[in-house]
Amino acid sequence: MTVVARTWDRLTLPGKALFILIPLLGVLTLGLVITIALFGQQILDILIFNLPIVRFVFSVTILMLIFVPMAFVIIYMEMKIIALMNLRIGPDRVGPWGTLLSTVHGLKVLMKEDFTPGKADAVVFTWAPVVVFSTAVLSALVLPFAPGLYGQDMNIGLLYFFAVGGMTVVGLLMGGWSSFNKYSLIGGLRSAAQIVSYEIPLTLSVVGLVILAGTMSLNEIVIQQSRTGWFTDWFMFRQPLGFLIFAIAATAEANRTPFDLTEADSEIVAGFATEYSGMRFGFFFFAEYINVFIISAITVVLFMGGWNAPFPSPHISWIVDPGSLGLWLVILIAIVPVVGTLALAAPFYLFRSKTRWWVALILGFVLFNVIAGGIFSLWAYINFDWVAGLFWFVGKAFALVFLFVWMRGTLPRVRIDQLMGFAWKWLLPAALLNLFVTAAAVLVIDAMKAAPK
Amino acid sequence: MALTGIWYVIGFAFAAGSFTFLTFGAAWLISHRNRGDMHKGMPYESGIDTYGDTHGRFGLSFYIYALLFVAFDIEVIFIYLWALVFRSLPDPITGFTSMLIFVAILLLGLGYAWRKGVLSWGGPGR
Repeated sequence: MTVVARTWDRLTLPGKALFILIPLLGVLTLGLVITIALFGQQILDILIFNLPIVRFVFSVTILMLIFVPMAFVIIYMEMKIIALMNLRIGPDRVGPWGTLLSTVHGLKVLMKEDFTPGKADAVVFTWAPVVVFSTAVLSALVLPFAPGLYGQDMNIGLLYFFAVGGMTVVGLLMGGWSSFNKYSLIGGLRSAAQIVSYEIPLTLSVVGLVILAGTMSLNEIVIQQSRTGWFTDWFMFRQPLGFLIFAIAATAEANRTPFDLTEADSEIVAGFATEYSGMRFGFFFFAEYINVFIISAITVVLFMGGWNAPFPSPHISWIVDPGSLGLWLVILIAIVPVVGTLALAAPFYLFRSKTRWWVALILGFVLFNVIAGGIFSLWAYINFDWVAGLFWFVGKAFALVFLFVWMRGTLPRVRIDQLMGFAWKWLLPAALLNLFVTAAAVLVIDAMKAAPK
Repeated sequence: MALTGIWYVIGFAFAAGSFTFLTFGAAWLISHRNRGDMHKGMPYESGIDTYGDTHGRFGLSFYIYALLFVAFDIEVIFIYLWALVFRSLPDPITGFTSMLIFVAILLLGLGYAWRKGVLSWGGPGR
């Protein structure tokens, strides 16, 4: 019996139905494409008429869909980077360099039994991961990814972000309480105490920034950091203490090492997630990795210039209108990929006698795609504001994600009373100090500016 | 209908909720299930049978933090509004000193709690 047949036999009946449904969906997609080709103009008119609704649906879909690969990338990054830091090899079996491992993990979690313990409160038990995941999605709503690329630009964006982010604790507490497990309960209560305590320094550390910026809209804050175009405009350099406090408190808010007391596996099994399995467990950890990105993203927005490049970009215009090429465009599209693939495959085939012709062709094809993608990205980067913004934003955010992973690889977990004492005895007074020093400095500078007149 | 602010929040919450429940549904369709025996439904507490009442009385340090949190969190909202308008106040020095006094009163409360040992392991009175 082949592997495929054996796997097919192991599926439950609904599973088989679902695997039949997926090709059916493919056929439906083809039908959709044909429909768009035939009635495209009418559909476009209706869409433009309902533009606000279309924008809403579009932003929801994009945010939800971008989260899945993003969580997979962060999970893979964490596995691989910590492995390299521990002098291990890490994932290397599934896909090139093990890159597909987190995807396979996701599929595995999807197919695992989703079990509710006997005495658990089933309703609360099910809603807990939903609440945690929803708060993660909701806090991404105000993030400005690039110029014009955000869910919603609220004038209370910063306050909204903290308010929604603090709701995570409700979900964790729900999970901890409803599991009917002492470890879960301890984990849930710990998370409540921890998140609630670090909420205060987290929110207070950005008050100095709010004084400087005079606004709470995240878009406005990003724009304020682009006066001269150099990285010295970033609030990181005008609010160093605030940045430090914010980074520490944000790490604690996201339950990351060294502050991951809520799921300290050496003490309380897995904390609030002890009794969870299958997809409900999956959503807890999906949300956790999204939260890592969101925390990095909000740090980038507030302190590291958001979508602004660290240096002023030279004005290059490299505009190619594809329409002006005429018939040459068709020839270009038809011939360049074939010739390019062959040309790039030739060296592998000619100069390495071990390489078979089809391996060389695949290598050439991949290389051609990489080069073409690179050229296209460069063109898009130069011509579109939002592509450049997205590049810098995601680049900076992932640099911070790397920092989080680095911390996890380096720092040991703190003790719970040290954790709580640190928030109240050190971070809170430091945040207040930062706030009043900033306010006094603003007072003096404004007075000096007003004096000569 | 203007699709701004609150409608986006409601819509995002709804979308996130439906996404999770749809995924739960899909997982329920394709996942394995077996009944198991009585031990399957028991809470996992490091492999031994559970002892005592889980939702009974629970020794919990740091419960007074919740009270401190409420005081400081409401203060934070107030400070945010003050920070927003700080640069455009007609008399910024009065604004500065009044906020200083306001925070000093709150810090007095924190200092009292600190002195009482609320911020240490074991709670007050130790």
